Amino acid sequence: MIKIANMHKVFSTEEVETTALNGIDMDVRDGEFVAIMGPSGCGKSTLLNILGLLDNPSEGSYEFYGTEVAKMSERQRAQIRKGNIGFVFQSFNLIDELTVYENVELPLLYLKTPPAERKEKVEAALTRMNMMHRRNHFPQQLSGGQQQRTAIARAVVATPKTILADEPTGNLDSKNGEEVMNLLSQLNAAGTTILMVTHSPYDAGFAHRIVNLFDGKIVTEKVHV
Amino acid sequence: MLKNYLKIAWRNIRKQKFYSFLNIFGLSLGLASCLLITLYVVDELSFDRSFDHADRIYRVNSDIRFGGADMKLAVAPDPLAFTMMKDYPQVEAATRLREDGSALVRRNGSTENLKEELVAYADSTFFKVFSVPLVSGDARTALTNPNTMVISERDAKKYFGSENPMGKTLLLDNERTFTITGVMKNIPDHSHLSDLHMMLSMSTNPDSRDNNWGSHNFLTYFLLKEGVDQASFEKHFDTVIEKYTSLWVRQIMNATMAEMRKSGSYIKYSLIPLTDIHLHSDRSAEISTNGNVQYVYIFGVVAIFLLGIACVNFMNLATARSANRAKEVGVRKALGSKRSYLVGQFLTEAVMLSFLSLIFGIILAYATLPLFNNLASKQIIFPFGSGIFWAIAVLTGICVGLLAGSYPAFFLSAFKPLTVLRGAIEHNGKGGYLRNSLVVFQFMVSVMLIIGTGVIYNQLNYIQTKKLGFEKDQVLIVKNAYALDTKARAFKDEVAQMPNVKRSTLSSFLPTPSSRTDNTFFPQGQLQQDKGINMQKWAVDYDYIKTLNLKMKLGRAFQKDFPSDSSGIIINETAAKILGYANPIGKQIYDFEFNSNKKDKTYTILGVVSNFHFESLRKNIGALSLTLQPSYGLVAISLEGGNYINTINQVQALWKQMAPGQPFNYRFMDEDFDNVYRSEQRIGQIFITFAVISILIGCLGLFGLSAYTAERRTKEIGVRKVLGASVSNIVALLSKDFLKLVLLSIVIGSPIAWYGMNTWLKEFAYHIDIAWWMFALAGLLAIVIALLTVSFQSIKAALMNPVKSLKSE
Ligand SMILES: Nc1ncnc2c1ncn2[C@@H]1O[C@H](COP(=O)(O)OP(=O)(O)OP(=O)(O)O)[C@@H](O)[C@H]1O
Ligand SMILES: [Mg+2]
Repeated sequence: MIKIANMHKVFSTEEVETTALNGIDMDVRDGEFVAIMGPSGCGKSTLLNILGLLDNPSEGSYEFYGTEVAKMSERQRAQIRKGNIGFVFQSFNLIDELTVYENVELPLLYLKTPPAERKEKVEAALTRMNMMHRRNHFPQQLSGGQQQRTAIARAVVATPKTILADEPTGNLDSKNGEEVMNLLSQLNAAGTTILMVTHSPYDAGFAHRIVNLFDGKIVTEKVHV
Repeated sequence: MLKNYLKIAWRNIRKQKFYSFLNIFGLSLGLASCLLITLYVVDELSFDRSFDHADRIYRVNSDIRFGGADMKLAVAPDPLAFTMMKDYPQVEAATRLREDGSALVRRNGSTENLKEELVAYADSTFFKVFSVPLVSGDARTALTNPNTMVISERDAKKYFGSENPMGKTLLLDNERTFTITGVMKNIPDHSHLSDLHMMLSMSTNPDSRDNNWGSHNFLTYFLLKEGVDQASFEKHFDTVIEKYTSLWVRQIMNATMAEMRKSGSYIKYSLIPLTDIHLHSDRSAEISTNGNVQYVYIFGVVAIFLLGIACVNFMNLATARSANRAKEVGVRKALGSKRSYLVGQFLTEAVMLSFLSLIFGIILAYATLPLFNNLASKQIIFPFGSGIFWAIAVLTGICVGLLAGSYPAFFLSAFKPLTVLRGAIEHNGKGGYLRNSLVVFQFMVSVMLIIGTGVIYNQLNYIQTKKLGFEKDQVLIVKNAYALDTKARAFKDEVAQMPNVKRSTLSSFLPTPSSRTDNTFFPQGQLQQDKGINMQKWAVDYDYIKTLNLKMKLGRAFQKDFPSDSSGIIINETAAKILGYANPIGKQIYDFEFNSNKKDKTYTILGVVSNFHFESLRKNIGALSLTLQPSYGLVAISLEGGNYINTINQVQALWKQMAPGQPFNYRFMDEDFDNVYRSEQRIGQIFITFAVISILIGCLGLFGLSAYTAERRTKEIGVRKVLGASVSNIVALLSKDFLKLVLLSIVIGSPIAWYGMNTWLKEFAYHIDIAWWMFALAGLLAIVIALLTVSFQSIKAALMNPVKSLKSE
């Protein structure tokens, strides 16, 4: 359960103040698949980062599964993020020095999962994403689609309740994009809450609900199904 | 072109303020330390070079083995100088000095005595060998007549103010009057003779005409003629020994040279160049405490290391930054820039940084010179006026710049434009290895210096706490007791009655620096030279053993109720062992006089005193004997705990009353003891100082490197945090690699330090063993320091919002 109310985010640099979010109210139910859309610079990524507890809002409240997290420090947020939230980025953000297997294993290491269980989970995630045969490759040796599948494997390996995806198909061709969307749908069907930022109306079609942002405000919400 | 180079270089230095600061700060520190040490080394090397013909002046060294003792002496027998002069035309001039120790001096008519630390008899030929100009008097005749003296300008001023001292007299030790026949310029500070301010005419001293080839007391200097080779001249000593010494041996010892040699005894003379004396001569009877060439080497190496560490920082930071500058290189290359241009650009930048550092370094060295002088016990003056100094400084600036800048310059300019523009520059490739080895080098030096410091201080502590076999704490020593004249014993007895005083004793001989005489003894009337034993013979009184808390091992101490004790002798364990008696008590030994005019003395052994350290711990405990004889140099007073000030005041009051006008000098015995190890203490302090500097420079570099690493790995850090890494996970991740390097440097540095410090410890006959925990401690210290340095950057990176890190991509 995610609940945000009257959320603001202001970036102040030396010269200018940018209001990236300007009074957002939003609820996300357990198991929902929400797409966030809007023109470039309207605040989608900012919203998603705050939802993912990577950043704090300047103002407003944020309740994450019953805990108020809006004012938490990075240390406390890190504690909540661990195992609860998985991330998929447009630019994959795999660690170049680690293999596919090691990248996927990372969240479990930080969760201190015992080795045997770790191995089982990593292999399950890789198999599910059809990446087992590439487990010993380094990110640079993979195609964009393969990199994104690895990133999704990494996002789901700790079976988080929520997955946040920022333009997960942005760097992929339509075939690979379709594949990624199918994977996300499957995860959602299995009960994972998914929040996704996208520019593609087609991709947004996979979601239950589409939230349209403009200038840091929610302008429309459309519910599928 | 050069202008363009300089312009861009200056812009880059200013743009990269943080790195430029680290570079300049580290390099200035390195250059300043190096500069100070160089000044020290130059200073040490310049001793005795200012005399005319310094390269033709030599001193005679004597190496003697006799009576179970090895002697390395700076002195020669009285007839040697002028016998050589007479027999060998290669000698242009010869002169002797006979040290007479300290003296109490006053002008006739004055009642205040002043203490002169060094008075020596000198031949009238002194000024022929040493070009010390006379301010007044005639150098050829000044020291000819008995009871005449030459004093330095310093002493002329001290005793006569603005008056002309020529023809006036000075009274030495209240009894000997000398007429001043010359005033000389002060002997230069940089000379082993620099403490010589009073020279008495040698003709005053009858010993100088003894023609005694067996007694070595005279510092003997030769000025050899031009073109005379040292080695070939030294061969003539053998002839002299055959001709003169053997005659003397036959007369006095009733033996031939061959018999002497067969029993293992020998006598050898050699020459040491005047300019080598300060650094290479550490013999008995030196006229001054000399330097030690070992320390010159150690400092030289430390200087090079420090400069090396600073250069390493420079190279490291530059190559590390190369990743950031790679784009610039790629663009420049794509735009058609030649490689040589790029090399030129980077070198200009490096040399510019190095010159900035040089300027700061010189300022820093100048500002800290007084501290350094204090530390090294020197009076070095900053050579602002010296052209050579500036030339070397500029040359150093250029060399350091080129050296430190060359690797980054070639490393960077060799980038292939395409790979660089694609952003795929290899982070952990060759540059990484070099960088890592350089960090290892830096920390290795630091670890070695830390270990060195630890060992030195442990040894000093060992010396301080070692059981010496005598009591040195709470013992007051009143010096120049001979100034009391006939009242010396009364003074000593009266002091013993004072409250807070346990005991007192009157003698010139103490286990701390004081008089020494060694004589040769023969057991039981056997005058065979191979049975002789060379040992210290100290004249003491009844209270000596108890006052110094010496322990008797066998037999008894001197007792007043045995009048025959005046011909008794107490020997130490070493002497007992050499003599080899099963029970030495009651045995007789003969004190042999190497002079046919004097009569041998027979002593009966009364007791054996437990060995005590009467020489420094550098030496093994030699043979020693105590006899009951008047000897008035010092009064040693052992005190109860409590208020010393009162007691000292009382003693002083008594002195004033019994020796009016005589200077009252006192010391605590443990101070005198500590003074013996001053050079070690100084080395310890210098090691600490440079260890701290080396660590500081190394940390500056490490700080820069860790900042760079954190910066380079920002994205990775962000990703890891998004995946659940905690702050400590990130800090560990970033510190781990550096820790490995520091561990490696400990592993490499420890054995080198072990070897070096073991060599140093060998100078001591009594020393600590280097223990594993010293290495562990040094290693731990290095690790903690490195961790602290690195963690500052790591924690900063780890606490950053992960969004920010991800943005940086
Ligand atoms: N760290 C920051 N500092 C200053 N301004 C920022 C920062 N991050 C985002 N902004 C500003 O906030 C606004 C929203 O940015 P955001 O990244 O959320 O846009 P977006 O909707 O994700 O755009 P796009 O579709 O292009 O990814 C923008 O105007 C951006 O310039
Ligand atoms: Mg965005």
